[in-house]
Amino acid sequence: MSPPPPRLELRQVTKRLRSGERELVVVDRVDLAVAAGEFLAVLGPSGSGKSTLLGLAAGLDRPSEGRVLLDGREIQDLSERELAVMRRGRLGFVFQSFQLLANLTALENVLLPIELAGRARPLEAARGMLAAVGLAERGHHYPAQLSGGEQQRVALARAFAAEPELLLADEPTGNLDGATGALVLELLVRLRAERGATLVLVTHDPEVAARADRRIHLRDGRIESQS
Amino acid sequence: MNARAFARQLARESRGARGRLAFFALCLGAGVAGVVAVAGFSAALREGLASEARRLLAGDLRVEGLRPLPEPAARVLAAESGARVASVRELATVVAAPPTSAGAGRSRLVELRAVEGDFPFYGRLTLDPERPLAELLAGDGAVAAPELLSGLGLAVGDSISVGGRPFRLRGVVHAEPDRLGSAFALGPRLYLSGASLDATGLDRLGSRVEHRTLVGLPGDASAARAQELAARVKAALPDPDFHRVETAAQGQPELRRGVDRTERFLGLAALLSLLVGGVGVAQTVRAWLASRLEAIAVWKTLGARPGEIAALYLTQVALLAAAGATAGALAGLALQRALPPLLAGLLPDLPLPAFQPAALARGLALGLGVALLFATPPLAAALRVPAARVLRRDAEPLPLPRAATAALGLALAAGVAAVAALQAGSLAYGTAFAAGLAATAALLAGAARGLIALARRLPRLGLPVPLRWGVAALGRPGAGTLAHVVALGLGALVLVGMATVERNLVRRLDAELPADAPTAFLIDIQPSQWETVRAEIEAAGATRTDSVPVVMARFASIDGRSVRELAASASREEGRRRWALTREQRLTWLERLADDNRVVAGALWSDPERFEVSVEEEFARDLGIRVGSTLVLDVQGVPVELAVTSLRSVRWETFGINFFLVAEPGALDRAPQMRIAAVRLPPGGEQRLRDALAASHPNVTLFAIRDVLEKVVAVLERVGLGIRFVGGFTVVAGAAILAGAVAAGAARRAREVAIGKAIGMTRAQVAALFAAEYGLAGGAGGLIGAVAGTVLAAAVLERGFEIDWRFEPALLAAAAAATALLAILAGLAASLRPLAERPIEALRHE
Repeated sequence: MSPPPPRLELRQVTKRLRSGERELVVVDRVDLAVAAGEFLAVLGPSGSGKSTLLGLAAGLDRPSEGRVLLDGREIQDLSERELAVMRRGRLGFVFQSFQLLANLTALENVLLPIELAGRARPLEAARGMLAAVGLAERGHHYPAQLSGGEQQRVALARAFAAEPELLLADEPTGNLDGATGALVLELLVRLRAERGATLVLVTHDPEVAARADRRIHLRDGRIESQS
Repeated sequence: MNARAFARQLARESRGARGRLAFFALCLGAGVAGVVAVAGFSAALREGLASEARRLLAGDLRVEGLRPLPEPAARVLAAESGARVASVRELATVVAAPPTSAGAGRSRLVELRAVEGDFPFYGRLTLDPERPLAELLAGDGAVAAPELLSGLGLAVGDSISVGGRPFRLRGVVHAEPDRLGSAFALGPRLYLSGASLDATGLDRLGSRVEHRTLVGLPGDASAARAQELAARVKAALPDPDFHRVETAAQGQPELRRGVDRTERFLGLAALLSLLVGGVGVAQTVRAWLASRLEAIAVWKTLGARPGEIAALYLTQVALLAAAGATAGALAGLALQRALPPLLAGLLPDLPLPAFQPAALARGLALGLGVALLFATPPLAAALRVPAARVLRRDAEPLPLPRAATAALGLALAAGVAAVAALQAGSLAYGTAFAAGLAATAALLAGAARGLIALARRLPRLGLPVPLRWGVAALGRPGAGTLAHVVALGLGALVLVGMATVERNLVRRLDAELPADAPTAFLIDIQPSQWETVRAEIEAAGATRTDSVPVVMARFASIDGRSVRELAASASREEGRRRWALTREQRLTWLERLADDNRVVAGALWSDPERFEVSVEEEFARDLGIRVGSTLVLDVQGVPVELAVTSLRSVRWETFGINFFLVAEPGALDRAPQMRIAAVRLPPGGEQRLRDALAASHPNVTLFAIRDVLEKVVAVLERVGLGIRFVGGFTVVAGAAILAGAVAAGAARRAREVAIGKAIGMTRAQVAALFAAEYGLAGGAGGLIGAVAGTVLAAAVLERGFEIDWRFEPALLAAAAAATALLAILAGLAASLRPLAERPIEALRHE
């Protein structure tokens, strides 16, 4: 019996973007494997391709060349629909700017991925998740009625709600002040540990990165070093 | 900021929104084009009507009476510079064919007309041969209608005896501009010269001769000049009771009403399309400013004063509006040129509208006004965005202070009232329109608030995901549901109002189309001849035959007051009343009324004790007759008392045989009578029947009215086509603008699509939730708007067009469903790109 495939694997992934006349190589022939349960931090200066790499890993974007594998399955050629269905219950996201749905209350935001994944007793699960991030009492509020830290905690609850195997976080503390950011990070690390999820976290904060199992440094779209 | 920096900013601000801004200009342009085109078209229609009315009067002014024109009045006319005068005398007399070897020639009652001067001034006398009338009538010449020739068995060149003197038939008159075929003609027409009439001695003192003086004013004379001359002639008449003075503009109320209706309809269409353009403008500006909120916040953090920002955006709006209105005005001018040829035949010789700088200016002003009016509320709201928006994207604009909201609402209402008043030419109408619109908008806003409250309270967690999101989207703070529902509702109001008015107007026109109308009238049928005449009518292939007995009578008294007394008490202005009182009346009797008659007061044949009569309502009003009145009629020397037990309305336009007075069967049985008949014959049947009757019943005269009928049918069909065209155009343009307005708002939703996809929703699911949201807002707005549109249409139809309207619940439901569907389709169409886009695209823009 062969060993289980890595949770996430990138093989020779390149992403080029056109910028006027020029062609910009944002991600350049990256090879990367993340094992199940691993916590990987992606570091690098602005414009080094961190967020693009994350988008490629999640199937939110398509590579110009190379292959992206989730649990050994190639996803770069899947249709939008197949990608969407693939994400359900397996992938969770946390964004720098929260990206909560303004139309929906906090509870409804958390509920959405659970229902899409077709989990049993979704309402209880959603309430439980909100309680886990300390916002049990704020479920009926709309995002606009919440502070930045609270919004990001709702986003965390939403990301973990469907018990995803892989969590992708794009500078989740970038828009928050130091104390609030630390709180949110603490929550993220704890929830991940409790649920044994794989976490790929993009940051440029070395202190945040220090909590990870492994770190890669990006520069000009290439992995410069690992630690 | 100096002027140059301002101009640079102006250009920069439009970047990235040029498509949207072009749409803004387009919305406005469509409305302005309608206003300008309608103004020109109305003017052309009015001009066409004036010339048609002159044609039907055969002059600009007519003085008629049973006495010759008195000298002082004649002097007024003679002194009028450039005026031409013709005099016409008419009387009924019996003419005869010369005796033949078989005995005396046939004789016939004719309407004899003697003409001096250049008759007619307008319109054309159709003569065969095509020579001037005066030339044909010179010496002992006479010109006769074809009915007379066939009735007497004569041909051009034969001799005819009038008043015992022989005249020579020199031609045939086929059509006269001032005579429409009628069941009530006394007989066929015969023309003589004035000198010939004098020679016959028929115009002796005491004989009943109708004297008409026709006046033709110089070609460029206005209706006002004719009016003014009429007043002077009236003043110069020593005893005005003996003469009626009529101008072309006063005559032809039927035609006038038709044109009024068309004009009003077109005006309404223009106003509504301007309004729907305004809604499009408001929604476009809203969507455009929503995408500029960050920019406005940044402006504020950089130290721009609110006044400067307002000036920047207002100038932008004004420039765009000017461009849109100008383009619209030019399109309107082009449309003006295109419409009359399209509607040629509506009125003969419909003139091309002249270039009207006033209409152009009005279109431009209305366009600018509407744009600024509708752009101000979203602009005022956008300017309240807190500078903190640079830090927190979802910092929504602060609500306006109550006073400011109220002031904006008032300004908007006043502006709409001004626009409507300017367009309708009536302040009362404008105010009523604006009030109705404000009430509708308030109702819509209230309903939207209710919908929002409901969406918040509804336990939506049990709903399927797309529907839940749709409901949630309606209820969230700052969702713009209010503006959305109001815009959709106003749009639905316009569409339903327009469609309802158009449908009812077209239905009425179709009903007025005399599809089954008679093509010929037969008069002077003796009761004993009716059976054999009817057999000949059927042999000629008649598809419809109506015949009634006719009794001639005069009023003797009304409610105990003698007619002489009543006529004497009628004031100078009541010439029409005096005329109705003293002239000879025609009566018939009927068991049941025809379909084109409707009892509006009292009940038909409801008094078993007395002989009854049913009176046409307007005739009754003129003479002061009510249900319960008693009429005494002098039936050729015998007084007959009749009780008025009902009043009727009559649709005269059906061309059927109708009477002001209809008696109960039995009341007039023994009175001297004859029959008239209205028959519908196949083409060519009129001539065949006329020839057959000439041989078997020479006393019966047949008037063919096929030509008139076909002309009327053609005109009505054209009017119907025009109304369908304009109505359809307004509805389609309105729907397009509305769809654009929805789309303008929907383009902001790219981010939601991206998030939905990121957490695992398929495209179809995202589309479904959008559909739910837009469908709910569209359905609610559509239903309220449709109800308001129906109310508007009912008011317009009943007040403006005097047409009974029919309530159509199916139309309401269809309108609500269609609005919902339109909102869904437009919303989805606008979301197509984000739906197809990779989620990262939208998320990257954050």
